Amino acid sequence: MRLLSAAATAASALVLCSASLMAPAPAHAQAKLCDKPREMDGFKTCADVDKAKAEGAFVLYSTDPEAGQVKLLAAFNKMFPEIKTSYVRLQAGALYAKILSERQAKSYLVDVVQLSDMGMILDFQRRGGFRQYVSPQMAAFKPEYKSKPEGYWTWGSIIMGGIAYNPNNVSAAEAPKKWEDLLDPKWKDAINVKVSNSGLQHGVWYMLKPILGDDYFKKFAEQKPRAFDSYVQQYGRLVDGQDKIIMGAQYSGYIEFKAKGAPLAFVFPETGVPAVPETYGIVSDGPHPNAAELFMDWFLAPVGQKALADALLLHSPRDDVPAPGVGSVPLKDMKLLFPADWNAFEKDRVEFAKSWDRIVGARR
Amino acid sequence: MTLASGAAVQRRRNWQAIVTVALLLVVGFLVVLPMVFLVEASLNVGDPLAFPPEAYGLKNYFAIFDEDINVLWNTLVIAVMATVMAILIGFTLAWILTRTNVPGRALLERLMELPYYMTPLVGALAWAVLAGPRSGFVNQLWKGMGFSGDIADIYTHFGIAWVMALFEGTVAFVMISASMKSMDPALEESARVMGASKLRTMLTVTLPLVMPGVLGATLFVFAEMLGSFAAALVIGIPARIYVITTAIWDSTLSYPPDYGRASAMGLALFVVMFGMLTFYRHMIVGGSFATITGKAFRPRPMDMGRMAWVLFAVCCLYVFLAVILPVAALLLTSLQRFATVILSQAEFTWANYQTALSLGPVRTAMANSLMLGFGVATVGVIVMAVLVWIIYRSTLRGRGAIEYLVMFPGAVPRLVFGLALLWAWLNIPIPIYGTLWLLALAYFTVMLPLGVRTLAGVVLQIDKSLEECARVCGAGWGYQMRTVTLPLLKPGILAAWLLIFMACVRELGASVFLMGPNAKVIAPSIVSAFASSGTELTAAMALIQTFTVIVALVILFRVTRGVTRELS
Amino acid sequence: MSTTRIEVRDLVIRYGDTTAVNGVSFTVGRGEHVTLLGPSGCGKTTTLRSIAGLEQPVAGSITIDGQAMYDAKARRNVPAEQRGVSMVFQSYAVWPHMTVFDNVAYGLRVRRQGAAEIKAAVERALDLVQMRHLADRPASKLSGGQQQRVALARAVAFSPTVVLFDEPLSNLDAKLRAEMRVELRELQRRLDITSVYVTHDQEEALAISDRVIVMNVGVIEQIGTPEQIYNRPRSRFVADFVGSANLVKGRYAGDGRFETEGGVALQAVAGHAPHGGETEVAIRTAYIDLEPRAGENQVPGTVRQRLFHGDFVQYVIDSPLGALIVRRPPVDLLDEGAAVTLSFSAEHCVLLER
Repeated sequence: MRLLSAAATAASALVLCSASLMAPAPAHAQAKLCDKPREMDGFKTCADVDKAKAEGAFVLYSTDPEAGQVKLLAAFNKMFPEIKTSYVRLQAGALYAKILSERQAKSYLVDVVQLSDMGMILDFQRRGGFRQYVSPQMAAFKPEYKSKPEGYWTWGSIIMGGIAYNPNNVSAAEAPKKWEDLLDPKWKDAINVKVSNSGLQHGVWYMLKPILGDDYFKKFAEQKPRAFDSYVQQYGRLVDGQDKIIMGAQYSGYIEFKAKGAPLAFVFPETGVPAVPETYGIVSDGPHPNAAELFMDWFLAPVGQKALADALLLHSPRDDVPAPGVGSVPLKDMKLLFPADWNAFEKDRVEFAKSWDRIVGARR
Repeated sequence: MTLASGAAVQRRRNWQAIVTVALLLVVGFLVVLPMVFLVEASLNVGDPLAFPPEAYGLKNYFAIFDEDINVLWNTLVIAVMATVMAILIGFTLAWILTRTNVPGRALLERLMELPYYMTPLVGALAWAVLAGPRSGFVNQLWKGMGFSGDIADIYTHFGIAWVMALFEGTVAFVMISASMKSMDPALEESARVMGASKLRTMLTVTLPLVMPGVLGATLFVFAEMLGSFAAALVIGIPARIYVITTAIWDSTLSYPPDYGRASAMGLALFVVMFGMLTFYRHMIVGGSFATITGKAFRPRPMDMGRMAWVLFAVCCLYVFLAVILPVAALLLTSLQRFATVILSQAEFTWANYQTALSLGPVRTAMANSLMLGFGVATVGVIVMAVLVWIIYRSTLRGRGAIEYLVMFPGAVPRLVFGLALLWAWLNIPIPIYGTLWLLALAYFTVMLPLGVRTLAGVVLQIDKSLEECARVCGAGWGYQMRTVTLPLLKPGILAAWLLIFMACVRELGASVFLMGPNAKVIAPSIVSAFASSGTELTAAMALIQTFTVIVALVILFRVTRGVTRELS
Repeated sequence: MSTTRIEVRDLVIRYGDTTAVNGVSFTVGRGEHVTLLGPSGCGKTTTLRSIAGLEQPVAGSITIDGQAMYDAKARRNVPAEQRGVSMVFQSYAVWPHMTVFDNVAYGLRVRRQGAAEIKAAVERALDLVQMRHLADRPASKLSGGQQQRVALARAVAFSPTVVLFDEPLSNLDAKLRAEMRVELRELQRRLDITSVYVTHDQEEALAISDRVIVMNVGVIEQIGTPEQIYNRPRSRFVADFVGSANLVKGRYAGDGRFETEGGVALQAVAGHAPHGGETEVAIRTAYIDLEPRAGENQVPGTVRQRLFHGDFVQYVIDSPLGALIVRRPPVDLLDEGAAVTLSFSAEHCVLLER
């Protein structure tokens, strides 16, 4: 027991220290855009490129599928071979839990984090988890796509959720066209969704509930949907016929699989498609701060955004970047349903998680 | 002749005491401290991330019976089904291979080792591919033959139990055949001489005599099934069937992470497992941790006549179901763009292997796993050899306590121990969390029971007089260890090294919590890939892992064969 | 006291609740061959091992060459590797992973002798046991008898002054045992080694020992030369365990007169002041004659059973003293039912102390 109290004492000291770290960032002078951004091949950067190369490494935490992250990071590495990249992929809730735990342990392992749930982003900002860095690229992003003041976090892509199905198993006649069609008893046991950890799924719930009514999701629960961690699993099960419908299907996944030749169809219901951003930010106390800045500048520039589109078929918030893939619907042609108040969205998460877990038969 | 002075005698006593205390501290720190942290976390009813806890209470424990009662139910049902099947498989195989004249016995015994190389994770993946409803290979064939509906659905309680039993069956087989081998054949022969038929002999003589061994194996296997993770993860979650281990995992991977609830569940599981294993140890093994192989008899096998070939087929069927079919399924899947067994529709491609091999993390993870396996096994056997000698051959006073501590991690489900280590090292102000060092520490700790048990079996077989003679000849402790004990332990050390190496490379439960971006290992990497990559890519990764491990082992066997040969 | 090599005093050794050795005291002189004899469980091996330093006593003292190796009062227990005695184990303990040469050289190597000296000493030792030609053979490839010789050579190679033997011959077959017995004795005499020998075979003990210490359930029953033990057993146990004897109950009336329960008056010899009351006499089976002899005790009897043992014939004779066992040389065999007169001298009718 003596050991325990010794450890506990040490740890209490630790908590007090970390508590001060977690406190809201004191209001010092706002970071400003640097005076002379350096022109790289295809983008301007304020980062110290030599220092970044000297650091030699860069770590990204993101919710995107591994294969895609690898491709994205490979594009960055191709331009800067001296900077070795590594990543961790987890769904949003798990990823955020991991980052918080690491910081509690004073383990600073990650440079840039991407989370698909704005609530978590805001929470992290409040805890002082982001380091403010104003990139010359941020000027190209609309004010609602970035933090105020800018430099804490920026939307790296926008994902939206519709309805997907396999035309080989579902005829055009019986295929759903509206969200309400999914309540048809013939789709019982044949629908899959994402787990409650997912930011996109949270967005789908949050936006559709007021529009379709509380009853909608109660009835939806009777369809006994199955939850998965990633759209890769979801679309895979459509292709091999284990499921018939995806509710809240991620459009980028559809483009990706279609390009591989999978038999798929995507529906944009008239009501609209709920959308959430994949938000990126530089983590404070990261191990490679200069590399992080360099990455952000590259990533937010058209060259990086195009690399993202190639790797993950994601839509860029930038107007000067075309829609990903071939023949896909551009953002301006979609009826996107964004939450108006991200703070309210954040507060909704706990209730969403509980309700959603019950709907998909998860342990709670 | 040198005669001792009083000071030397005194020095020796102090040295021994220092060593005992030091060992107790180190082992206690590694083994018990994480559990202490876990207990504290489970009593936390305030902010789950706070340390130390703001409020203490038993709410987490009560919640298990309140909100998670179906999880407990699932765990029990699946564990019972899996145990029954595993024991049936193990008993049948053991009986066939030790008591009958089945042809090709030597070959079959080697084949029985194969499922051990198939980790439960890989096996679960394979069976998901084989028996998933609608798209599973078995069901595709069924439909192709003209039937409608599915013949098999792996995503059920039974499906999970089936996969677990298939791979735990070899453990049951080893334990039961050991107990069958230690039965005096004269007991059966006297029954036959009195006129009892083969069947009657088996039912009235063999079975009752083997019962204690079978019961012991049942207890042991059941305890393992309770803590099983891989199959429940791969098959249970898509089936919405949560067991305690996946519920623990799930608790920590959601936001906000509920460490309190996870710890409470982990400890509840641990207490049950611990109770069962203690019962097993006292009732069956007579209080000893080391399985001493006593005198092994040469049982005369029963002549089964033509039935012998049927029995041969039964054994082959097991190997087929546990190894060949899964590997074939995975191979087929990994080579296709979209998995199907209807070869006419298949699009074959190398792309999955290209992607898997080019995925830096996969290569790094594989390299990390091999490196950790090598390092932990090498350092581990040396430390464990010394520990074993101290526990079983020395007269140090604290050695009973050391033995107990060293065997303790065996009673903790790997996943729970991983969680304990996570929580402990998140809050101990030494920054090894997220590094390979923490993984090495975790592996060493969870491998202690395995290594110590293997080495103990060998040490106990060394005649004490061989060491005593060295001492009487004047050899000090160090000289005696070096010239007599360690050389005689060599075969045991090699066996332990290989076992630890393999176990490290396959390790999932503890590693899944402790990885970081630069500290990835292969089994959890396959699990995360499973979540975010297609089945085809995951199949390729799983096969690459299995293949690499087998190649590494073959190389090691070659290298060590020379060493073991000179000793026989 | 310079003639005493080993002195054991009031030694007590316990295992948990059982007392294996309960207050044992004896001395061993220089060049003496002393045997601890007794049935299994009597504590003889435990006593031997504690002289070697392989057991932890709880009381008493052990002194070798005047130096205290174990002393309970002084809390002193010299570890085995520093006592300088040598030991031959029952299982031989020949190390399978070394050659014969390496086995024998072990004690010399521990003592850091030079390579040339080691070679000479090992060869000398191997010559003593006629194993020189097998010096390079791996020890795992030796027969039982060969292992025994190697163990012996190893024990004497570094010229110890004290050698302890823990039932070294009990794993050999009878013929080999008889041969080795003699060789051992020769070796011991030639090298002038002080030896303490443990065995349960009373024949062996009597044949080669200078003195025999008979032990039973942790205590010493009797110490003496083989002749003394055989001819003058002091207790029922010794009479029964060593050789074969007839035990007859009765009363001692003093002055050599003994009256049996059956009312027969015998002339006996008593080595102590007897107490009046129930006692026994021991009459060795080999000392009973089947012909009447003058001046000796004479008892009539009838042959009940005859068993031919090869080297001797054993009769069971019914007599007023009860059923007596008599062993005679295997000539002039008597038939069952024959009437005989048993005679034995007073010298051979020994009053037992307990």
